[in-house]
Amino acid sequence: MFESFFELLFKYRPLMFEQGEFAFRASWTGGLAVAAIIAAGVATWRSYTQVRGNSQPFDRGLLTAVRLASLVVLTFCLMRPVLVLSSVVPQQNFLGVLIDDSRSMQIADRDDTPRMQFVQDQLATTEGALRAALNERFALRFFKFSTETDRLDVVNELAFDGTRTHMGQALTRAYDELSGVPLSGLLVISDGADNADDGLAESLLPIQASGVPVFTVGLGREEFDQDIQLGRVETPRRVLRGASLVTDLVVTHQGFRGQTVTVQAEDEGRIVGSEQVTLAGDGEPQTVRMRFTAGEEGPRLFTFRVSPQPGEMVRQNNVRQSLVVVEDREEKLLYFEGEPRFEVKFLRRAVADDENLHVSILQRTAENKFMRLDVEGPDDLVGGFPRTRAELFKYKGIILGSIEANYFAPDQLRMIADFVDHRGGGLLMLGSHRSFGQGGYAGTPVADVLPVVLDEARGEGDESFFVEVGVEPTRAGASHAATQIAETEDASAARWRELPPITIVNPITEVKPGATTLLTSDTSGGADELVVLAFQRYGAGKALAFPVQDSWMWQMHADIAVDDMTHETYWRRMLRWLVDGVPDQVAVNLPRERVQLGETVPVFATVGDANFEELNNSSVVASVTHPDGEFTDLPMEWTAETDGEYRTSFTSTTEGFYEVHVEAMAGDEVIGEDTAYIQVAPSDAEFYDSTLRSSLLQRVADETGGRYYTPETAGSLPEDIQYVGGGVTVVEEHDLWDMPALLLLLGTLVLGEWGYRRFRGLA
Amino acid sequence: MLECLCYAAFESGKRGLPVTLALITSGRIPLEQLMRPLRVMLIVVVGLALVGAVVAVRLSTPEPSQETTTSGLTEPGVFAAQQAQQGFDPRQLLDQGRGSIKSPAGPHEFYFTRAIYSSGWGYGRWAVDYPKADRQFMTIVNRLIDVDGSPSENAIRLDDPEIRKFPFLYALEVGDIALSPAEVTGLRDYLLAGGFLVIDDFWGSWQWANFEQQIRQVFPEHPIIEVPLDHPVFNTVYRISEVIQVPAYGNYWGGRTWEQDGFEAHVRGIFDDKGRLMVLINWNTDLGDAWEWAERPEYPLKFSTFAVEMGINFIVYAMSH
Repeated sequence: MFESFFELLFKYRPLMFEQGEFAFRASWTGGLAVAAIIAAGVATWRSYTQVRGNSQPFDRGLLTAVRLASLVVLTFCLMRPVLVLSSVVPQQNFLGVLIDDSRSMQIADRDDTPRMQFVQDQLATTEGALRAALNERFALRFFKFSTETDRLDVVNELAFDGTRTHMGQALTRAYDELSGVPLSGLLVISDGADNADDGLAESLLPIQASGVPVFTVGLGREEFDQDIQLGRVETPRRVLRGASLVTDLVVTHQGFRGQTVTVQAEDEGRIVGSEQVTLAGDGEPQTVRMRFTAGEEGPRLFTFRVSPQPGEMVRQNNVRQSLVVVEDREEKLLYFEGEPRFEVKFLRRAVADDENLHVSILQRTAENKFMRLDVEGPDDLVGGFPRTRAELFKYKGIILGSIEANYFAPDQLRMIADFVDHRGGGLLMLGSHRSFGQGGYAGTPVADVLPVVLDEARGEGDESFFVEVGVEPTRAGASHAATQIAETEDASAARWRELPPITIVNPITEVKPGATTLLTSDTSGGADELVVLAFQRYGAGKALAFPVQDSWMWQMHADIAVDDMTHETYWRRMLRWLVDGVPDQVAVNLPRERVQLGETVPVFATVGDANFEELNNSSVVASVTHPDGEFTDLPMEWTAETDGEYRTSFTSTTEGFYEVHVEAMAGDEVIGEDTAYIQVAPSDAEFYDSTLRSSLLQRVADETGGRYYTPETAGSLPEDIQYVGGGVTVVEEHDLWDMPALLLLLGTLVLGEWGYRRFRGLA
Repeated sequence: MLECLCYAAFESGKRGLPVTLALITSGRIPLEQLMRPLRVMLIVVVGLALVGAVVAVRLSTPEPSQETTTSGLTEPGVFAAQQAQQGFDPRQLLDQGRGSIKSPAGPHEFYFTRAIYSSGWGYGRWAVDYPKADRQFMTIVNRLIDVDGSPSENAIRLDDPEIRKFPFLYALEVGDIALSPAEVTGLRDYLLAGGFLVIDDFWGSWQWANFEQQIRQVFPEHPIIEVPLDHPVFNTVYRISEVIQVPAYGNYWGGRTWEQDGFEAHVRGIFDDKGRLMVLINWNTDLGDAWEWAERPEYPLKFSTFAVEMGINFIVYAMSH
């Protein structure tokens, strides 16, 4: 509306004044006229100063000023002011028109009209108003862009089925194709929902450098009236069969504040989890935590779904999928106990039925006498605690019980620390009179790894510390996978508080910076808070401190029912978490869990020897099994950038699941193997965050010297490009003397003088 | 008067009663003569009686201990109440100068815990060998294996909820065990939760029959079977290749190892649904006596050695399986 009013007063649109330069084009006759006006002005001034009559000085001054102003306006007009503009020569320049061909253009968010309707109405045929106006001035070259960018001959052929929007690639392609011809600019018609992995900045640089303006037309709405979107879903890439999966989902919405919706998790169509969520404020991301069990082995595609609500504008963004590889394998742990303790008995019983955990136990019964339980063979641990890295690093987790630090040789203590730091294993230390500071671990490499600060060992004669405490989870512990002992967070926290007290003989009150405390002692009685369970990431692995002497009380206490499974649940989940993510000698890594058909899949693998030292000269082969059963063997090469890292890639040709099995050899000996999976399917990214991104389109236009339009303002686009665009141009001069504003001003001044004189009786 | 009667009895033995009486009544044997030799006899007899009484009392009364536990006894079993009425209450053995510890773990990982059960013989059979056997055995255990064991005795009732804090339990002389319903429930829950019970020192078919009838109240669904020698319980610390019959200390004086008709020692067990040993039954043998009298030179070392090895195996097995 402002533009219309401006044009009414000043004859031309604001854009022309922005682009043009102001100048005077007065001839000799005009100069004469100006001189005459100046003389008239002098005469006016003299007459008003000399002829006083009944006027006051103010009257004379005001009237003088008004008269002189009107003479100035007249002089201005006689000077012949002009607006000098560069205008593209019609049909001498090209205009690249880039049309978004992605799925998000199907969204009907304006009066139930899909975004693509604008393209069909304005550009599909030569009769379209915008196309007709552009055709008069430019030679149009059409492009369609989504995942790829291609020339477009017939606009009606657009299917709007692209699965991603890659605007930067489109601009680069169009500019490269048209850089050899006179180019007035590029016109991008899109909703701006760019979801490419790379940013736009790099694509804009050459366009900016060459001065080619980019004009953008934004389609859609910046905010939906009503929509629920299931955003980010975080799941682990791999889990053990039977593991409790803790998944965080981010839900955002517009227009459903206070409503309760159902979020479901499905495993191949079978509902495995469900949560009721009350939606918070509009646009406010809300994290929902879901727990369910990974049952079946293999690559499992879990689907997370928010129940669609009436009136939602986009329902495709209510669903997310996540690929989780459920592994049915046995993770090996070593539990080294320095004396007969009931903790051994009850820990064994707790994990006995867990087929994915194998805890080998080495228990010292007397000096230099050991009992081995659940070992893999007659020679396993026959020499006591492992003395070589190869022997120790074959385990994924180590549990140290009541064994004093002096038992280990200095090399063994260093080896235990390296087990966590370098090998990436999990270390758990239990409480007892020979653990932590009491066991003499302060100042040892193991102390560096532990997440708690150790006191120096108490000397002889010191009174031993002993306290009986209840346990409660911290905020982190209430939701952590290792400490979930019930179906829900609230139930789990309540259950912790119900458990009978346990005893602590290691007074630990401080954790290291960066460590996380999951359980603490109950302080309701006014006692000092003690650390009951804490962990930290150290190097490639993790370490836990559990300074409890008798967790078996959670099984044996009279308050615990005989069939209660809390103790078993705790140990299974804790030990599974302890070994979660611990790598093998050979580990395959696929950076993405999902690609589109035709995309290249990069495959990385890390290879280490039995000591987990990186190997750069192994023979590594990736065997790719396609969804149709076809096999492809791909040799992998060392990347030369990272020790032990190998790389290859393949192109997806069929939709479905690809299995990538990597095997590494050293000569004839197999070092190890690993398997990963990737899904090839159309991307669903187009329906997420699919509102109009006017800020992005505005930025592209501003940075290149173009302008941003909406469908309502796109009518002025052709004329604007004419004056803003580059290419072959001609200089135009537009007269300004006949601006209605000037006439209006002149009339106002003259009439105003006359009116004032009449009012003051000076006429 | 007493002295006269004693002298009369003495002389009657020599001369015959009628002659003795005639001599006394006729005054031919003066009273002083009568008294002199009997005084010594009387003093000796009375002295021996007093010594015997002291010994008997001392043996039946345990000494106060510094580390004990009370079980918070509140509801005695039926038979224990009867025993109290009869003038003997097993709880009294625990009430003399006992303190209490706050927690089972306390400063120790292991407590050798003796089960107090109801029995039909009217006195505390559970307390046989108690506490010497317990203390002596734990002294040996603490020397031979690296366990943090309490050196003191610890006894607790089967129906006491606190029993769940002691996953190892020992009971003996169960030939006349007579479990109350609360004791049956308490023992069953204890064992199903993860507790381990060692039975010892009961002999013969009659005692077995009674014990079996009682224990079947606890586990009617699980049979009692012979524990084979290749079972891990015989190999946790010491390798037991043969089950020896360990005699009671007093019985061996006679050169025999058996009692009643218990000629052959057996080690039997009750296993849970997952094949885990819950109750280990030593029948026709007396390991407790071997622990109790291990220091006596007249008690054969082989019995003490075997009993200690078995006991240590039981403990380590119970703490690891």
